[in-house]
Amino acid sequence: MDLETIIRDCLDGKQGAWNMLVDLYSKKVFNMAYQFAGSVPEAEDLTQDIFLKLHGALPKYDFGKSFTAWFLTLAKNTLIDEYRRTKWEKRQRDEFDERLHAAADGDDPERALAREEARKLLWAGLDALPPDMRLAVILKEIQGKKYEDVAEILGLPVGTVKSRINRGRLQLAKILRDRPGIPEGGHP
Amino acid sequence: MTACDRIEGLLAAYVDADLAPEEKDLVERHLEGCPSCAALADSLRSAGEAFAAFPEIEPSPALVTRLRAVPGRRRFRFSLDFLLKPSLQPVFAVASIMAVAFSLYASSPDKKRIEQAVTRQLHRGYSTFEKLTAKAGAITDSLGAAADSLYASIKTLNPLGKTDKYSQ
Repeated sequence: MDLETIIRDCLDGKQGAWNMLVDLYSKKVFNMAYQFAGSVPEAEDLTQDIFLKLHGALPKYDFGKSFTAWFLTLAKNTLIDEYRRTKWEKRQRDEFDERLHAAADGDDPERALAREEARKLLWAGLDALPPDMRLAVILKEIQGKKYEDVAEILGLPVGTVKSRINRGRLQLAKILRDRPGIPEGGHP
Repeated sequence: MTACDRIEGLLAAYVDADLAPEEKDLVERHLEGCPSCAALADSLRSAGEAFAAFPEIEPSPALVTRLRAVPGRRRFRFSLDFLLKPSLQPVFAVASIMAVAFSLYASSPDKKRIEQAVTRQLHRGYSTFEKLTAKAGAITDSLGAAADSLYASIKTLNPLGKTDKYSQ
């Protein structure tokens, strides 16, 4: 069943179609919320808010546009609005736990350790970025989207998005460079 | 702006191999002589690799169940949403005051005195209303009389001085 049919069936109130939409997008949206907020309970509540908003906004969806970009823009707005409203009263990211360690690191244990340490620092460092910049970095660097797609989701020109992402990357790279125990110019 | 600041602005594009050849040469020449910027370029590469290795997390089955239940939840939310309308706030305020007044009356040991006081106030209010109605009637009468006398004066004034040939 194609996406357009699923959306039309959702508009007709078919629960099965809604379940399919949830299966298609829950992982993507949950990860976006988790990487942005840094806490699983927070990300679960945000994901639910986003799907509640999606259900309310679905009749306004323009079938001539990309549903994914439209939905992720709605998700982005919810995340930023919620951040601005609460300023993440509990500004505490989850510990970089075993779920995030689970990525394959190759066979070299030393390199794997360095990369794990880098991931921990970057995970904590995301909170140092302003919300708009953080979301742009997440979409491009973690979720691997193209600049054009990130620009569409954020509703900004590609040039602005590029410079925003690059400034974010630079800020995070400085955290890595300046971490204790690594000599200047040394490879992590 | 120092040379390092200028190179920092180009580093991300350099790491992405997104620079024009002359800018690339400029950055490479600078990196050869600047360990701090060279370390930053290395860190940018490391950050890119580390970010690419961030795993995606599966949403919990409990969350998926919550998300699937959203249409039902929205219907429920919708049915109660009207209670949050600001236009209903005065109604809720009056209802709250009446509820407090009634609970005070119901829990009071001296209900008869309260009833008498309320009856007295009602009678006072009624007599005040009657007085006001009577005054309003008197004002209407006096206004009518004033209008009649004004009309009579205008009639006798005859500003053009014309005489009626039949009245002579």
